[in-house]
Amino acid sequence: MSGPLIDFDRVSQIYAARDGSPVWALSDVSLRVEAGEFVCLIGPSGCGKSTLIHLLAGFLKPTSGAVRFRGRPLDGPGPDRGVVFQEYALFAWMTARQNVEFGLRMQRVSAPVRRRRALEALDRVGLRHAADRYPHELSGGMRQRVAVARALVVEPEVVLMDEPFAAVDAMTRTTLQEDLLRLWRETGVSVLFVTHNIDEAVFLAQRVVVMGAGPGVIREDLAVDLPYPRDRGSAEFGREYARIAAALARGSRGTDQSDGERRAA
Amino acid sequence: MTAATDDVTGNDLSSSRRPALEAPSDRDAFAKEFRRAHRRGLRRAAWLRALLNVTGILLFLAVWEAVPRLGTWVNPVLLPPPSVVFDTFVPMLLSGEIPANILASLRRAALGFGIATATGVTAGLLTARIGLLHHVSEPILHGFRSVPSIALVPLSVLWFGIGEGSKVALVAWGSFFPIWITTFIGVRDVPAAYLRSAACLGAGRLATLLLVVLPAALPMILAGLRQGIAVSLILLVAAELSGAREGVAYMMSTGHQMFRVDIMLIGLVLLGTFGFIADRLFVALIRRLFPWYTTAS
Repeated sequence: MSGPLIDFDRVSQIYAARDGSPVWALSDVSLRVEAGEFVCLIGPSGCGKSTLIHLLAGFLKPTSGAVRFRGRPLDGPGPDRGVVFQEYALFAWMTARQNVEFGLRMQRVSAPVRRRRALEALDRVGLRHAADRYPHELSGGMRQRVAVARALVVEPEVVLMDEPFAAVDAMTRTTLQEDLLRLWRETGVSVLFVTHNIDEAVFLAQRVVVMGAGPGVIREDLAVDLPYPRDRGSAEFGREYARIAAALARGSRGTDQSDGERRAA
Repeated sequence: MTAATDDVTGNDLSSSRRPALEAPSDRDAFAKEFRRAHRRGLRRAAWLRALLNVTGILLFLAVWEAVPRLGTWVNPVLLPPPSVVFDTFVPMLLSGEIPANILASLRRAALGFGIATATGVTAGLLTARIGLLHHVSEPILHGFRSVPSIALVPLSVLWFGIGEGSKVALVAWGSFFPIWITTFIGVRDVPAAYLRSAACLGAGRLATLLLVVLPAALPMILAGLRQGIAVSLILLVAAELSGAREGVAYMMSTGHQMFRVDIMLIGLVLLGTFGFIADRLFVALIRRLFPWYTTAS
């Protein structure tokens, strides 16, 4: 393919605050992601990392600038970009299997094929046995696995994940991260992953994009050149962690300053 | 597990031995027995509840029976005891008078409620999904909603006569509003994550509406329907009291004219039973149709 898969070209996103004053969620942000890359977006709250995801998903249109996917400007949400939300996005009235089948149903895949592919997708996240359970009968970690299976079964080119593991306990989170890496390498899908957790970013990403708030900007774009699977106890892991923590600290000093200015104003 | 242990125990002990505790068969047996005991416990609790329910009814009947008989301050003509009411009830039931009246009332209530369900859910969906329609209809719908439905009884009789039309129209009118308003709220408040998930998975407008919006709003819609059932009963009675040729409330108003309090009390009991059974049936139906919707009752 010529050109990057995802291209944010000098994107700004402005919305009205309660008092009507403009809030810069993103200011002149440019970011390119190649096909098959695993990129983490990290930054303090209000840095616009979720806004980037929402723009690419097609939920928002940029105030200025362009968001291109495969070289073309976006026109609303579509199955070529899967999304995994933080939680409570599985349809509560459908079983795990029916949830996974939903995207295939929209593509008018026949019922037997749909069923087989959904079960395969559930198998890949280790939940074939829970296919006929409703979301309220699943644990938080299992729900997120189903959500990942639901996003992947329609074979999107990129999966957008908005702090998908933030609401599960630490141990479950580790296994979810390992499973996600495995799926990423099996399918070759690109992943754009929002987190506020440095450890998660270093464990998962090939590239960590460090963002800053008020207005939302990209501060640094750091490559993590560690082989998979990564060892959290290794010295290299610690070094990468420190590098990103330092970048975040540099960014947040700027944020504190602007916060102070805003309060003074 | 291990043949060795089996051999040893099998040789050393008689056939009545208990297998080692960690043997799988023993665990299964324990689990089976545990489940059985658990089910027994649940059944016993259910029986006890039913028994207490019946006791409550019997206590109420006993007090009602005793008051007009023992108390000199109560006129038994104005408050006949249940035994007298029952003596009146049986011949009316056998003659077919009561079943005919029940059927007439049920038909009106069901028809009116059915119309209200269809129109109320549709109106709620449309006004919640289409902003323009919402703002245009808002003042009119809320204005009408504020008018107590009973106030429309005389008008309804003028417009639709004292036949079936006015009764069905009143029931439909009254139960339309709770159904419409709850459907509207339920549809308006469908979580954004559901709508966004559907959009990312390629769902169009119609698929989103039928497969996502409606089921997501269902708990609210069902709450509205339940309220609608209660309201239909009120309007049914108001409509029948204002002039009818049959029906449970008509029977009561006849009893009133003949100064037959026992007949009026039969009507009251029938209406209470109606409401109770309709509500229970509704909850049972929800449990059956929507197993994921666990907070009903």
